[in-house]
Amino acid sequence: MKVMVCLKQVPHQDARLDIRDDGMWIKEDSIKFEINSYDTYALEEALRIKDAGEAEVVVVSIGPDRVTQALRTALGMGADRAVHIKDDAADGSDSLGLAKLLAAVAKEENPDLILAGLMSDDTNLSAVPPMLSQLMGIPSASGVVKSEVLNGSMRVERELEGGALEVVELPRPCLISIQTGANQVRYASLKGIMQAKKKPVDVKTVEDLGLGGQVGAAGAKVTVSKIYHPPKGDSAEILEGSTDEIVSKLVGKIKELGLL
Amino acid sequence: MGSILIVAETQAGAIREATNELVTMARGIAEASGREVKSLVIGSGVGDLASELASKGGGETLVVDDAKAADYNVDVWTASILTAVEASGADLVMISNTPTGWDVAPRIAAALDAAFVSDCFKISADGDNLSFHRRIFNGKLDAELSASGTAVVTVQPGALDAAEASSDGATKPLEVDLSGCKAKFIENKQADATGVDLTKADVIVSGGRGVGNPEKFSEVIQPLADILGGAMGASRPVVDAGWLPHNYQVGSSGQIVAPKLYVACGISGAIQHLVGMKGSNFILAINKDPDAPIFEVADLGVVADLFDIVPALTKALGEAKG
Repeated sequence: MKVMVCLKQVPHQDARLDIRDDGMWIKEDSIKFEINSYDTYALEEALRIKDAGEAEVVVVSIGPDRVTQALRTALGMGADRAVHIKDDAADGSDSLGLAKLLAAVAKEENPDLILAGLMSDDTNLSAVPPMLSQLMGIPSASGVVKSEVLNGSMRVERELEGGALEVVELPRPCLISIQTGANQVRYASLKGIMQAKKKPVDVKTVEDLGLGGQVGAAGAKVTVSKIYHPPKGDSAEILEGSTDEIVSKLVGKIKELGLL
Repeated sequence: MGSILIVAETQAGAIREATNELVTMARGIAEASGREVKSLVIGSGVGDLASELASKGGGETLVVDDAKAADYNVDVWTASILTAVEASGADLVMISNTPTGWDVAPRIAAALDAAFVSDCFKISADGDNLSFHRRIFNGKLDAELSASGTAVVTVQPGALDAAEASSDGATKPLEVDLSGCKAKFIENKQADATGVDLTKADVIVSGGRGVGNPEKFSEVIQPLADILGGAMGASRPVVDAGWLPHNYQVGSSGQIVAPKLYVACGISGAIQHLVGMKGSNFILAINKDPDAPIFEVADLGVVADLFDIVPALTKALGEAKG
């Protein structure tokens, strides 16, 4: 079975968010990057499928040079091969543009199963995975917390609101997007990291994938006007003072609420 | 300009409140941009609900009423919505950002080769131009986007209050070819519900990723909950990391609570968490990040290391009790 896992490299979750001068994104020069948390759970789900039977895990990611690090990490965790879509022409792609790039790779790879995280920690759009499945003409299930490989299909549990779960069965090939907490993500072992250096990373350009002019800023139907820190407005009264002064005020407030 | 198509959701035999919110938002855009509002209801035996929506602001309401649509199915909904978009002449499709919405809406956008923006809390119309407002970086920053051509958008449930509206109540059955549907609904079930019912607690003290490890929950968070006679809770990342079981989770996929006092310690305030506790009578937030979104819903905030404040507060409360 071939499992394709889509990964996105995103700013580290504790990275300082300074807005770029053009107001269209954050400054990236001095921050750390990591694999999108949701995608780590998707990768772990793929590696568990590989551990349980015969499967090849191919990881795919789009982005500049620094994405190589994310792919090496994934290979170190146990993925077999990586595909890196690296091309300035892909810059400014909207979600659909990104999905088209991944679909082009998926059409070459012809996987039985595609896994991805439900959304990314930076844009939180939760767009690309279902778009990819539509472009591939395969069924999809999003926000999955449990998956089971059956003969020719996947049985999955989708997380709904308030602890409710929806059980669905999708014939393969299909796509599943994984919710955080679906499993416990493994660390790459030292042996895994050493082996990763020898695993292939294929680099593809937009032209290689036959998508010239269709992706990137040129093909984008959604554009960012600006990003900004939310206005403070109607928010909390912030207590000032020493720890003792603050604690004293808090005790007073708790008494006032009749909760002491 | 094309019409606006609202994709409705039903739950427990009623139109979801999130759909009513969509109607309010859609009508606002329609007025500002001179468009018509239409709706789509998908299900089995939903004729009455469709009539209700059609008379309460949904406009002309298309109905897909089929046994195959009795339970949510991604292929049934994709086929139904695409058929409805064509039938209604819509160039703006609006869906709530619920588990159904995030499952199907991007598929519609891809099929239509359209713009897609999710989880909008506001959409402003300026004639033909639409601006979409949403949060990024798990609630830390605001983003304003624009789209060209046909657009599919999902709207954050609870972002606005539904207002009363009325329309002439016309419904129209919609024939959809469902023969190509591959996904199969098996069943709905509930996650294990063992543990404290947080909805009954008067006081909840919750910890987030900032608490650092499971031991610190019992050493630092639990004692404050105890001294206040309350219960301990947690944000999603804590449960995802396996530090506490799911029944401690406060949020849209956990428990929705509204105690007299909610204390959030080291919790950033992603929307999924805020949805779970913003109805609390009084909210105290302690976080060393002054920009943490939690401060937007809190009544009182302390920008400090929770390890400096919480143990000291627990001690002072113990002394005050005498």
